[in-house]
Amino acid sequence: MTGIVEAELERFTRGDIQAFEALFREYQGEVYGWIIRIVHDSGAAEDLTIETFWRIYRARARFDPCRSFGAWARRIATNLALEHLSRRRLEKSLDNGFPIRAPGTGTPDPAIAADVCAKVLAAFDELPAKLRVTARLAMIEERPYAEIAEALGISTNGVKSRVFRAIRLLRKSLEKRGVRP
Amino acid sequence: MNEQDEALKQVLQRAAPGPTDCELKRDLWPEMRQRLDRPPVQISLGDWALAATLLLCLLLFPETIAAVLYLL
Repeated sequence: MTGIVEAELERFTRGDIQAFEALFREYQGEVYGWIIRIVHDSGAAEDLTIETFWRIYRARARFDPCRSFGAWARRIATNLALEHLSRRRLEKSLDNGFPIRAPGTGTPDPAIAADVCAKVLAAFDELPAKLRVTARLAMIEERPYAEIAEALGISTNGVKSRVFRAIRLLRKSLEKRGVRP
Repeated sequence: MNEQDEALKQVLQRAAPGPTDCELKRDLWPEMRQRLDRPPVQISLGDWALAATLLLCLLLFPETIAAVLYLL
């Protein structure tokens, strides 16, 4: 997957800017791809990718070159994406607006009635950020539980538990809205 | 996941599909480089002196805390 060798990772931890550039170029696409799956906004995903690498650079001395750089980057990216979602939710609640579909996201299946679709989206949007991200990655993006666990810094059982709680909350919320999937 | 959960998953996937394109369209390194080259925020001696004076005032006259909070 990667052409980055341990020696380069070691140079990065010592603050070598060329090693950091090599890492950045190798992983920017992967980090961006991970973030956009969570935030669904290409502009925000670009900003968060840069912020992720900025934090990576500042924390370089703490990185162990024997460990996976990709997993470390995903974890930092996930935390930033969660912060972004929480901020966005707060802004939305201040605007008191209906969730707006970000550009670049897929369009809902026309076979599902628009009102059902809106209710499902609203119910999903109401989930706490951590549950929403876990459910999105597990149920919509269908990422492996182990990968999600690593990115969120929790165990695989923790991911299963969050998905279970998300489903329970979603079902309750949809039933309140008169939808029984 | 049981059948009901699977059904919910299907509805969710149709109602809230993921991003259509997860590919990064451009190289972000130039922006990253700019960010790295940005000088760190410098706090002047005057600012430190002002902060220290404010802190001292708050310690000596705690009743001013409300006034400071109001002004913030």
